[in-house]
Amino acid sequence: MGPVKKPRRLGRWVLFVIMMFVAVIMLYPFWVMIYTSLKSEGQFLAGSGFSWVSWSSLSSVIPIGQEVLSSTIVCASSILLILIVGLPAGFAFSKLRFRMSTGIFLVMVSAMMVPLQAILMTEYVNVSRLHLTGGYTAAVLVYASLGTPFSVFLFSTYFRGVPDELIEAGIVDGLGYFGVLWRLVVPIALPAIATVTVLQFIQIWDDLLVGLFFIQNTSDRPITVGLAVLAAGRTTSIPELMAGSIISALPAMLVYVGFQRYLVKGLTMGIDR
Amino acid sequence: MATISVNAPKARRLTLKRRRQLAGVVFALPAIALVICFIGIPIGQDVYYSFTQWDGQTATWIGVSTWSQAFHNPNLWTALRNNGLLLLSVPFALGLPLCIAVLLHQRVAGWRIFRTIYFLPTAISWVVLGLVAERFFAYQGTLNSIIHALGFSHFSTNLLGYQSEALFALGITFIFTMIGTNTMLFLTGLATLDPSLEEAARIDGAGRWRIFRNITLPHLSRFIQLAFVMTVIALFSALFSLIFVMTGGGPGYATTTVEYLIYQTGFNQGDFGTAALYGLILFVITGIVGIVQLRLIGSNE
Repeated sequence: MGPVKKPRRLGRWVLFVIMMFVAVIMLYPFWVMIYTSLKSEGQFLAGSGFSWVSWSSLSSVIPIGQEVLSSTIVCASSILLILIVGLPAGFAFSKLRFRMSTGIFLVMVSAMMVPLQAILMTEYVNVSRLHLTGGYTAAVLVYASLGTPFSVFLFSTYFRGVPDELIEAGIVDGLGYFGVLWRLVVPIALPAIATVTVLQFIQIWDDLLVGLFFIQNTSDRPITVGLAVLAAGRTTSIPELMAGSIISALPAMLVYVGFQRYLVKGLTMGIDR
Repeated sequence: MATISVNAPKARRLTLKRRRQLAGVVFALPAIALVICFIGIPIGQDVYYSFTQWDGQTATWIGVSTWSQAFHNPNLWTALRNNGLLLLSVPFALGLPLCIAVLLHQRVAGWRIFRTIYFLPTAISWVVLGLVAERFFAYQGTLNSIIHALGFSHFSTNLLGYQSEALFALGITFIFTMIGTNTMLFLTGLATLDPSLEEAARIDGAGRWRIFRNITLPHLSRFIQLAFVMTVIALFSALFSLIFVMTGGGPGYATTTVEYLIYQTGFNQGDFGTAALYGLILFVITGIVGIVQLRLIGSNE
């Protein structure tokens, strides 16, 4: 036993060092953002010195409060719409099967694979013709339609585990199907709802494409669009851009750290059972 | 309750069944309508408009000549080639996370903290990661600082500035952005592995590599397939933010992928018809990958 233990302990140390090395690489973006944001543009170009200038001037360069508010409104409305249409549909496809429901469900699930870029032009022209690009309407509808297939898939997989007796009992008690869904099924589905909410929040909060094309007014811009447009223009000072990046990254990171297990559950849904 | 006549339950069950189906249709309808309006119809329109000259306002039918024009357009081939070359990053986008997941699974001191750190970049927008990557590869960026610190002071790179190298930098960034998600997938897979299997093999005298090859890897195959599909789909449809921020598709068309070409053709050149056609091509590519994915889900149920 004695001689076996020694190389093992050494191995653990080697492992630990490798893991520290990987950690440094993975933390690199955060380090760059924080380090760079603590410089003025001059200090950044010179490569030395620190100041709070970029943070205090941030709101004059990027309407950061407005953009965070826009991101929040778009995120919340889209997720709400996804849940409103996704929960009943998931319930229907798993427990209230109707004619051709399996076929429709398969088509719905395949819609998960359609990238927005593939339909970008036609989608853009459609919502413009319907005059929906004025406020957040178009963006919310597009986000919701892109998020719905996955949420329907996830909910229906989850609801398959709900016993039929529970639903029948609810109907016998006179709840009606809507009552059964709202009072009996939704309370059981809270973990699945959390998974959809967390996944969609990170997806929508971090997205650029929809906000860029489906929100017309620059005053309604979400934070990612604000940052990307400034970055592509290449005229903004990089320290300010990094300060804005930190603010944009914080909410998603907090959600991420707090709800990690729901994310993992959602990602492996369908194979992890 | 027990005194109900023999016939009544049957009749009642029938109407119940019908009512249940009706409720099913009503419940599924909003989701179906949303997906048809915003995904289904636009795909159909893609097909129609791909045969037209279209500026977003008026469309003139010109038939298959849009198609032959598009396929004679070198930019499309450049974009397809760029996507093809980027596929070379997929083995790394899977292999590195696999190694990291296996390391994490050894549960050395502080592995939970390491896990959170490794996953953290996944929470950040690719817009932000693109900004950071642009800084990393820039002439006065971190990469050159590292090279100089290593003693090669006369050697400098400017990967994003050269046609032949910009795509390489984009590929490296793509690998980095995929590490968190794929590690998470593999770690989940490893957690479902029965440790007694490995233990038994170890007692039988199997070495680490053999245990990994014959027990761990086959167990992970389904997770690796899923990660592969997700990575390839991301490669074709999620690079927009990175490209928009890092290179704008350039220099020239060196980092223009098919998805970025759609944006350039439609919004920069106003050629909506050709852009719709490119969209259709992208749809077919992801569709093929999607069928693989459906097979994956289907084979499991």
